[in-house]
Amino acid sequence: MTESTIGVSAPPAAAANPAAAATRWYANLLPRFITGLIILLAWELVVRAYAPPFVAKPTSVAMAIPRVFADPAFQIATAATLAAVAEGLVIALVFGTMIGLLMGRSPAFERGFRHYINSFYAMPMIVVLPLFSLWFGYSGVTRIATIIFAAIFSIIINVADGARSVPREFLEVARSFRSSRLRMLGEIVLPASMPYLLAGFRLAAGRALIGAVVAEFFLSIGGLGYFILYNSRSYRHNEAFVGVLLLAAFGVGFELLVNWSTRRFMPWYRRDEKTN
Amino acid sequence: MLNSSLRRNAPFWISLLIGIAAWEIAGRSTSQAFMVPFSATVVQLWQLIRSGEFIRQLFDSAQLFLSGFILALVVGMPLGMLLARVRVLRIGIEPYIMIVYSTPLVALIPFILSMMGFGFAPKVLVVFLFAVFPVIYNTVEGARSIKPELIEVAKSFRSNEWALWREVMLPYTLPFAMTGVRQAIGRALVGMIAAEFFLSATGLGQLIMAASQNFDTGGVFASILVIALIGVGLMRLGLKIERHFARWRQ
Repeated sequence: MTESTIGVSAPPAAAANPAAAATRWYANLLPRFITGLIILLAWELVVRAYAPPFVAKPTSVAMAIPRVFADPAFQIATAATLAAVAEGLVIALVFGTMIGLLMGRSPAFERGFRHYINSFYAMPMIVVLPLFSLWFGYSGVTRIATIIFAAIFSIIINVADGARSVPREFLEVARSFRSSRLRMLGEIVLPASMPYLLAGFRLAAGRALIGAVVAEFFLSIGGLGYFILYNSRSYRHNEAFVGVLLLAAFGVGFELLVNWSTRRFMPWYRRDEKTN
Repeated sequence: MLNSSLRRNAPFWISLLIGIAAWEIAGRSTSQAFMVPFSATVVQLWQLIRSGEFIRQLFDSAQLFLSGFILALVVGMPLGMLLARVRVLRIGIEPYIMIVYSTPLVALIPFILSMMGFGFAPKVLVVFLFAVFPVIYNTVEGARSIKPELIEVAKSFRSNEWALWREVMLPYTLPFAMTGVRQAIGRALVGMIAAEFFLSATGLGQLIMAASQNFDTGGVFASILVIALIGVGLMRLGLKIERHFARWRQ
């Protein structure tokens, strides 16, 4: 075990038997539904009994949903946050993959940079906000910079881990057919480390979302995070909570998307092969 | 002996020296408002330490971190084991835990602020919320992987529920729970800084906020350096704990 295991999350495993999983899913539906109902009911009753009227409760949040979704301010805020997260993630993905491949395949580069990458990853990402706001001002640039900072290191660490674990035979065959180093990197190492890249991306997407929300709190620039802050400050908790629900949906959506695409496009990848 | 360990660690020290040199050069060739050289950062940090300000804030932050983190362990580990033991409970609650786990919890800070105010308790709640989910998740995973034979043998020797927990489940689950503890350390640190930024400004978060509001770039760099060192130190501590317990994980 090396230090590079710090930020590595195991790539999502493909389901061994989809049919069995489907029957289990149906069987589990009832307890899940009942638990959800109990949670919502308890929340509703506790808030009705003890909390001041402005506090969010399920029925009022549900009634606020159509109103908030139709509100153009909310739509603009959501679009702004999503655009910033997407832009930051793409930049982090491109540069993170390049740096990660270099780190995984070049021992000298790895030894030189490993400690820095791990340290930046271990740092609570939001401490850079005051510094970035000094550098880039109270603007969208600071938000993008924060998102990139939050996202890039988990991509680098995971891609480097994937690039290191490419089976040696693949590279030897390529070399014996006189493949150039660059082609080997692009056509063997990169595809072979795709499951790791996706696992890193899943982590990165969650961290990017946190980075965007925190940046909007800190900088007071338009976005979903600021929408939540502004509405909860004006004691409109129900409206603000719709924003939280949407953020939760994004978080869960990213997770499901990555799991699904690992299963769909990389059926050859199984986690148990690696751990055993 | 000394020579070989020196040689093994040489790349680390060389890359550290190059990094510091690059920081120093970058700091000297740009404006002071943008970046402060390494030497000036260290001098500023030394002044902060000597004035006693730094130690006081560090103590404040540590208190917040430990309260939230320990609370997360005390709640998360028994809850995780309970979920693993009672199947219906696990099936019912697990999806909701996963949903909250992948939600950016920082978004709840404004609600906590307007309901609980500026005291110590809301900040502990933030740290707790950040830290508790990895603990629960990993404890459930660990407790679920207990071999059924172990529980059956214990049962056939007429072990009661309490003895089963203490003698079988706890020792078996602990190594897995430690993975959650390591993740929780990192997340609790983020929660601590977020609470100090957005609830009431205290501790290391206050140090860095005050420096940034005074356009004191040196102070910002000094605080970030310290927080980064704390982050790395805690991460290493977490890995050490995890590996220590991993020795008895089959």
